Amino acid sequence: MDFFTALRVSGSGLSAERTRVNLASSNLANAETTRGPDGQPYKRLDPVFQAVAMEGAGNGAPAAPGAESPMGVEVSQVVADPTPGKRVYSPGHPDADADGFVTFPNVNPVNEVVNLLSASRGYEANATAVETLKQMAQKGLDISR
Amino acid sequence: MRSELELAINGVRPLERPESRGIEKPGASGEGTFTGELSKALGEVDKLQVDADQQAKMVAEGGGNLHEMSLALEKADISMRLAMKVRNKLVDAYNEIMRMSV
Repeated sequence: MDFFTALRVSGSGLSAERTRVNLASSNLANAETTRGPDGQPYKRLDPVFQAVAMEGAGNGAPAAPGAESPMGVEVSQVVADPTPGKRVYSPGHPDADADGFVTFPNVNPVNEVVNLLSASRGYEANATAVETLKQMAQKGLDISR
Repeated sequence: MRSELELAINGVRPLERPESRGIEKPGASGEGTFTGELSKALGEVDKLQVDADQQAKMVAEGGGNLHEMSLALEKADISMRLAMKVRNKLVDAYNEIMRMSV
């Protein structure tokens, strides 16, 4: 049932885009978080995507190790953005350092919303691919009606 | 006396069925036979149905994820359609043969 390979590829794309949306939401939610679990200000998170070969038709056999085989995508790791966040002078803040400065996360909400939109469009694109595949399968079956 | 009887019984041999040699008779559940392939394909369809069922259950219980469920349902749907197509073709062929006047 090789038809399902494309379905699995699109499924991996959907999962990857959903992870991106999750991380963008996390960044937006923590745009003002000055204390993470490690006591440090929140660092924005970014997914790293990696192409993975999809195994062959249903029988679990690995795909031929050529670039011609369809590749799925997976989130290989989630990295924290190391750029320093902005420092605001606020001596009364409980997370202020000795000089009275509070370090805020390095999250720019505008960038995150753009990221969110892009991820949402990517999700839609993958869903469209699935829809197209479904229609093709039905057309293929309709040939012998 | 007994040995004579045994001799007589041993002399009686079952008739060898003509098809047991010469023409290869396909086994009912053997590999590569039509029946075998059909039941394998049906098992595949059933597996996809069960898979879709489990995904739907997981989503209903609050776990799982939506697009995995949709994809599982889609796979089950497509394979079921294919199975129905094959079945309809089989029944059509059977009816065609039964309508044959001899």
